[in-house]
Amino acid sequence: MKRTGLFGCGALLAASFGLALTAGSGVAEADSIKIGAPFNVTGSLSSLDAPALNGAKLKAKEINAAGGINGKTIDLVVYDTKTDPTVIASVASQLLNSDKVPVAMGFTDSDSALALGPIFQQAGVPFVTPGATSPKLPEQVGTDMFLACFGDNVQAAAGAEFVLNKLNGKNVYLLRDNSTEYTTLLAKYFDEAFTKGGGAIVGRDDYKSGDKSFTAQITKLKASAQKPDVLYIAAMPDDIGLVVKQMRQAGVTQPIVGGDGYDTPLLLSVGGKAANDVYYSTHAFMAPTGSTDAIAKFYTDYKAAYGTEPENAFAALGYDTVGLIADAIKRAGSEDPAKIRDALAATKGYPGITGSITYPGDSRVPQKTVTMIGVKGDHLTLGAEVTPSWLPAP
Amino acid sequence: MNMDLYVVQQVINAVSVGSLYALVAIGLSMVFGILRMTNFAHGDMMMVGAFAALVLGAAGLPFWLAALGGIVIAAIAGIVVERVAYRPVRGSPDVTLLLTSLGVTYILENLGILIFTSSPRNFPIPDLMNSSIQFMDGQITFTAINVVTVVLTAVSLSALGWFVTRTDAGLGTRATAEDLGAARLVGLDVNRLIVTAFAIASAFAGLAGVLWAAQAGIVEPDMGFTPLLKAFVAAIIGGFGSIAGALVGGYVLGALEVLIVAFLPSEVSSYRDAIVFAFLIAFLLFRPNGLLNRAQEVKL
Amino acid sequence: MIRPAALLSLLAPLVLVAVVTAAAPRLVNDYAVRVLIVMCINAVLVASMGVANGFTGVFSLGHVGFVAVGAYASGILSLPLAAKHAYLSDLPHWLGSFSLPFLPATIVAGLVCTALAFVVGAPLMRLSGYFVSVATLGFLIIVNVILINAVDYTRGARTFTSVPRETTLPWAVGWLAVTLLVLSRIVYSPYGRRYRAVREDTIAAQAIGISVLPTRLSAFMVGAFFAGVGGSLYGHYLGSFSPASFYMAYTFSLISMLVIGGMQSLTGAVAGVIVVTLASEVLRNLERGIDFGAFSVPPLYGASQIVLGIIFILVMIFRPSGIMGDRELTPGLLYSRKRRPPEEYL
Repeated sequence: MKRTGLFGCGALLAASFGLALTAGSGVAEADSIKIGAPFNVTGSLSSLDAPALNGAKLKAKEINAAGGINGKTIDLVVYDTKTDPTVIASVASQLLNSDKVPVAMGFTDSDSALALGPIFQQAGVPFVTPGATSPKLPEQVGTDMFLACFGDNVQAAAGAEFVLNKLNGKNVYLLRDNSTEYTTLLAKYFDEAFTKGGGAIVGRDDYKSGDKSFTAQITKLKASAQKPDVLYIAAMPDDIGLVVKQMRQAGVTQPIVGGDGYDTPLLLSVGGKAANDVYYSTHAFMAPTGSTDAIAKFYTDYKAAYGTEPENAFAALGYDTVGLIADAIKRAGSEDPAKIRDALAATKGYPGITGSITYPGDSRVPQKTVTMIGVKGDHLTLGAEVTPSWLPAP
Repeated sequence: MNMDLYVVQQVINAVSVGSLYALVAIGLSMVFGILRMTNFAHGDMMMVGAFAALVLGAAGLPFWLAALGGIVIAAIAGIVVERVAYRPVRGSPDVTLLLTSLGVTYILENLGILIFTSSPRNFPIPDLMNSSIQFMDGQITFTAINVVTVVLTAVSLSALGWFVTRTDAGLGTRATAEDLGAARLVGLDVNRLIVTAFAIASAFAGLAGVLWAAQAGIVEPDMGFTPLLKAFVAAIIGGFGSIAGALVGGYVLGALEVLIVAFLPSEVSSYRDAIVFAFLIAFLLFRPNGLLNRAQEVKL
Repeated sequence: MIRPAALLSLLAPLVLVAVVTAAAPRLVNDYAVRVLIVMCINAVLVASMGVANGFTGVFSLGHVGFVAVGAYASGILSLPLAAKHAYLSDLPHWLGSFSLPFLPATIVAGLVCTALAFVVGAPLMRLSGYFVSVATLGFLIIVNVILINAVDYTRGARTFTSVPRETTLPWAVGWLAVTLLVLSRIVYSPYGRRYRAVREDTIAAQAIGISVLPTRLSAFMVGAFFAGVGGSLYGHYLGSFSPASFYMAYTFSLISMLVIGGMQSLTGAVAGVIVVTLASEVLRNLERGIDFGAFSVPPLYGASQIVLGIIFILVMIFRPSGIMGDRELTPGLLYSRKRRPPEEYL
């Protein structure tokens, strides 16, 4: 390639990059409030993030149709962060410097929130995550990080109380996916809460997400000296259908309890009849009928907008997070990041469709009830609404 | 817990898993045998087969017909990839071929994500196949899918065996694998034979994809990644380039994995994949031609 | 006697780079600075990968394994004590009792990787062609599994966080300069000739007395050292990471930069990083959808990866030697050669 050709290409590339730098989010209207929305639309986490983004966009559209906030429309500045930490850091910087957003929301996992959090914290701009449930996040990042969902310690404690009180389980066999942060934490919190509540863990075992055969673990379970009343399995959405199916096929009839990783259509479609007598904690009872009116309306609207039913509760969480931020901006009466942050921290009783959101005291993890859902036959039922009385420390 | 029955159960598991590894490894070995190329995109043929079967099934075809359609579409995909990406670089150094296949797998996976989103989807199978068969009071269980897997593997292997020993095309592919230049010299249409080999290899991968999805219950765009790596190990253990070797290697690997998980304490068995790959490295060092190939002069 | 021209040709680029580094944060916004930092880190990694893969002809797919080890090792060493007690309470006592500053942590990480490369490379560098590629891929997988399971040291699959975010542009540029200087001194020295000899014709090289294994091993170890350094820079840039950050996706990204830039050239490594990074950023912003006023292209997330993959394959088909091939961009090119009549050479 001739030297001139090389320089030509290089110049073109540099020019496009410069253009990309300045273009930012395209046409920016003076009468709009920008809310940053980085999500892992592609990459390994997209099955959770994409529905959350859809829910967020739905709420933004609704708010704008109703006149916006303080007379201005909401402009969601969406970026695909590709489940890549370098891209996340770049996007964080882009949001702050090129788009100059006063507030942002995104992500359903802690890794991504941690990659972006410190950058926003340094800039003093608040960030609300719809779905990263690690309760340690606000401490790890700082005063600008908020969760819109309950922490894993809360849902594990709720699960423990449900097992003790509603299922009368005293002995539990704890099976855990040891390859992700979420499941490892969930199992740890359950262990603490259940033991504190007077129960006993009679066996522990691990598997890795992606395993297709659990016969080894099932064999050990059946061979354990003390038979458990209930199984608590900390699993990811991809695996739970198969785990449950193999357990039942091998003759394990005890109730199976878990966390919001079970909140996926795959539980029923892959698990089939085996999903009977499975219970899990989650953010909202996602069903077109039998749940609250707000959720039913959400189902209709989501289906009309995207052609499919909401894939999981993260869609509803994304929806609520935008609503929460809009509410805070309205109360703050300004687009100053610091004022928005303070308004967020002062949120009391925001009526989300996933529950009422309140940030108690200085905490940036909301107080929300945990919904326990049960599977009866081939459909979901509401098991209980639990507000745990004792929480394991994050 | 009866130890003998435990062992029997684990043997059943090993055979079931090993069959899938063997199916994928055979395709890898075939392509390597002919083109001396490590085809990293082979795993994506599994994805193509499984997704095609899913789509066809959703369109109303009965399961077995949708599965067959998936296999055919996988074979076609293999032919297309060969024509578009591999033929232009044929004859290049090993590294170029390897890198090209890396590029192809990157494109295919992202294409899958673009079209299907990376959410895992349910892979519905007829209830009959889901039924579990139990012996000895539940101490030995397997499902109809496991049986189908083993049977189909045996059937397709016999078909392949017949093909490479009794048909002209099959003998041609073996000749090409042994010496591409000489095959050309004696007048064989090498291009056609390579296409045939790719089609067969991808069809096998497609079949493995359908069976894998049936066992796991879900399909997702990156489903081919882990089986591909395992298939590499299987093919190398058995002897890279040899179909019989891939078969043997598949079952050896299946047995190894089950052994690790079933009989070692859980602290060690969580290192299962590391142990398997350490095994691979050991083979590469001490017996690079695998179990079946005769030891040839190892070039440094 | 050092010729003034030679001295100038060495100092000028260094001064230029130093000026740009100091001025950049003032001239362009934070986002551009971030892109520059990532480019420098990737350039360190790609250049070090090129030493083994390009110059010695041993295509290792396990480079990112060393990057991971470098990131974790330097992270464990430089984590502030408070964070160590909070997150890594099960560390052995001697590790848990001190915390190193950035530079020593980076160097120690590099040395750890070099030692690991010796252990891993001694058996593996005997292999050739696809054997070594698959074996080093196995190494990457083994590292990944160990990181996930060695929970006491690495927090397993959970995010490793609170690493002090110390990688600023001067640090990144400085390490890149050091890397390129050291690597160019090694690769273009008489010892470095052995690398190319071993790559071109192993048997002939052995015939003239070059031992293949130590040659390849030394390249592997040098590459691993800078992989460790790059890993430390990367870890201290992100501040938090997990084993998944150092696996197949990152491997493919680095390989594409290496190949597109030219496997057998250090300038090629830098060129490849620049081209792929800029192209990725441009495409990433384009795939969000474009508004032309009258009509608009909807967001097509994931398209940028596919386009990059296609570019990669096109390069493999039409220009497998990459942008730079095996040429280097040296200051000498800036000086025109005076034509001397042939008689003067006699």
